[in-house]
Amino acid sequence: MKRRWIIFGTALALYAALMGVARVITTRQARRSTEALLDNAMLDYRATVAGAIDTMLGSIAGQAVRELGRAEPRPMEEIGALAKRLDVDELNVVDRTGRIIASNDPHCMGVDMADNPVTVPFLALTNGTVASVSQPFRPHAHNPAVRAKYLAVAFPGGDGYVQVGLDERHLGKMLPVIFGYVFDEWMLGRTGFLLCADDETDVLLSNSSRHRDEAGTLAGTGFDEAAAAPFEVAGDAGLGRTFKQRIYGETCDCRNYLFGGHRFVPVLPEREFYDTRTIFGAVFGVLLFLVLGAAAWGTDRILRDRDRLKACYDAEDARRRREMDIAKTIQTSALPGKVPPNPVFRLAASMTPAREVGGDFYDHFRYDATHIAFLVADVSGKGITAALYMMTSKDILRNKLLAARDGEAAFDSANAALCRNNPANMFLSAWGGILDTATGRLQYINAGHNPPLVRRADGTVEWLRGKSGPMLAIVPGAAYKLRTAVLAPGDTLFLYTDGVTEAMDPSGALFGERRLEETLRAAPAGDPESVCRMVRAAVAAFAAGAPAADDLTVLAVQLAPPPRHRTRIFPANRDGIAGSSDFLDECLAAAPSSLASISAPLHVMLDEVVSNVVNHAGATVFEVTAEFTSARASLTVSDNGKPYVPFAHADPDTSLPADERPIGGLGILIVKKTADAVTYHRENGHNVLCFEKLAGDKTPEVEPPLP
Amino acid sequence: MTIDKKLDNGKLTLALAGRLDTNTSPELEAAVQLDGVQELVFDFAGLEYIASSGLRVLLSAQKTMSAKGGRMLVANPNEMVRGVFEVTGLDGIFTIA
Repeated sequence: MKRRWIIFGTALALYAALMGVARVITTRQARRSTEALLDNAMLDYRATVAGAIDTMLGSIAGQAVRELGRAEPRPMEEIGALAKRLDVDELNVVDRTGRIIASNDPHCMGVDMADNPVTVPFLALTNGTVASVSQPFRPHAHNPAVRAKYLAVAFPGGDGYVQVGLDERHLGKMLPVIFGYVFDEWMLGRTGFLLCADDETDVLLSNSSRHRDEAGTLAGTGFDEAAAAPFEVAGDAGLGRTFKQRIYGETCDCRNYLFGGHRFVPVLPEREFYDTRTIFGAVFGVLLFLVLGAAAWGTDRILRDRDRLKACYDAEDARRRREMDIAKTIQTSALPGKVPPNPVFRLAASMTPAREVGGDFYDHFRYDATHIAFLVADVSGKGITAALYMMTSKDILRNKLLAARDGEAAFDSANAALCRNNPANMFLSAWGGILDTATGRLQYINAGHNPPLVRRADGTVEWLRGKSGPMLAIVPGAAYKLRTAVLAPGDTLFLYTDGVTEAMDPSGALFGERRLEETLRAAPAGDPESVCRMVRAAVAAFAAGAPAADDLTVLAVQLAPPPRHRTRIFPANRDGIAGSSDFLDECLAAAPSSLASISAPLHVMLDEVVSNVVNHAGATVFEVTAEFTSARASLTVSDNGKPYVPFAHADPDTSLPADERPIGGLGILIVKKTADAVTYHRENGHNVLCFEKLAGDKTPEVEPPLP
Repeated sequence: MTIDKKLDNGKLTLALAGRLDTNTSPELEAAVQLDGVQELVFDFAGLEYIASSGLRVLLSAQKTMSAKGGRMLVANPNEMVRGVFEVTGLDGIFTIA
């Protein structure tokens, strides 16, 4: 809502600013056109008056030519009477030689036109080529203070001519006629008009309609002489300066111009000038208002649409996120838990979902004490559909594998079931194996999945390649073929999805099989947990922050390496002592044959230590750990009795005779003398005594007999 | 451990086979009945090893025999057993044959 106010407020402010600018421009434009109108009026005014005078003088001269008939001397009275009748100031008759032979002015008689350069042009009339010659007002030849205009018309055949002259001061008597004939229809703009007044009498001529109703003087129109610009003299260059006057009660733009003793004033009411501006302003204003209004409305509309779209997008995004969370939950909740530690095999697996949930999964379960099944699969597609199909696939595969321990039948029927329940046309690759942990026999089926690797106990790495069956859920009648491999104790089988090999670094390079192989080779001892961890770390380091495009699943299973040490717990009593001796026999039976020769000393030492624990330490239980290699045997006895320091006491005096010898203390002495190494420490409230014996050391170390 | 016990004219012969340790020495202790015995012979030909609990039985038997002026003989100990005697200094106390 607030944004709407801003949009329309901005549009309004823009409108006001543009209207202001438009007003300045239109004002200037209107003033210019007013000036141009007045300029043209001045030019027309002058030309029209001059033309009208020419016409009138021409008709007067023509009348005189007709009445006189030919160029011949006439008495001055006759010419004077004619001039008077025709209402001209001067009338001369000139013969074909250019000499004035008759005139109403005695000064002109006998004047030769050829004598004065001003009158020379009239001579053109004497050769019969020109019918009339006109001259503008100019200072009179005899009296320069007077301005006069001459016009001549030739007698027929060029036989002399009649010249008429008009004193500028007498122009006024012609003006009413001119106004009557010419200026009545004359337009100045739309409402402009002309004022013309005798400079002395102020008697007004005008073509304004108001003039007929109102005052007959220039002053009567409201013309204020004091506010007028200095008038120009006719004939001078320039068109004068515009000034303001109140004429007939209206403010008008005027010029001021003196001609023939008359004041000529073209008038253009200011209203017309403002009208132009107002009309233009109104039209522009309305248009601008519409344009800006439409723009503001459109902008508001577009922004609202954008808001709506964004809201839709956000909702869609949230929905997608929710779906993804659900899919992730489905995907991860369907995975089996950790395999508890056991002496036969170790299994570790993990699935790291990508940002967009894919359909990776893994599964593993035990058939019985010696058979485990495991599988890794990758469902096509992403999102909730893939996650749901993954659930179905996982259930079907597990159920079929549980129902038929024959992997071929299980995969065949799982494939058939997956083909049936597949409206979305999903499919998946899977690798499943059944491992006999007693024999190491691995039976497996590959349904279009990445080939796994075997990391042998000695650190070499092999690919478990071989012909694969089609992906599941594609070919309804597909028959899957069981293959066999053998894992030796300490061998690790590694399964994965393409999230590993197709992980990309920021430049788009793939992690690839070679890097995977190297990573496995570097994994110490092939422990499944650390193998999985190392592969994940290698992929993460390779991706260097590039987002994972696909789920990353790893599963490693290792057939337990031969046990290096055994441990058993015994009660701290006679049974425990007997049990620990049996336990040692058990351990020795499984131990390398090189240890057979030190069986007796080991038994003696163990017997001494555990009987000490039972009889003197006040322990309730003790634990024996045997760690045997072909070169040496190490036995550790740990008990929860009170601390003792077995070697702090001095050795018993073995030189005393039998009846003086104390009974006891000999046990520890025997251990010390028999073992190759003995250590004792206290740890977590337990006494921990460890003794070692090297193989091949058949007899206890014998000190030389005392003297 | 097995004990083959033979009493002949005041001479008690105990033939041991197996292991003489904390577990089995009470059996031997029970078998050593020295009333009227002038000569005591432990035949260790079949004995695998001996621990200190076994030594204790031997030592107390030696004390008893010495007290009544009788003789005690440890016969045929293997290397292991002989070693234990040596380690504990009993080789100087017992008569070993």
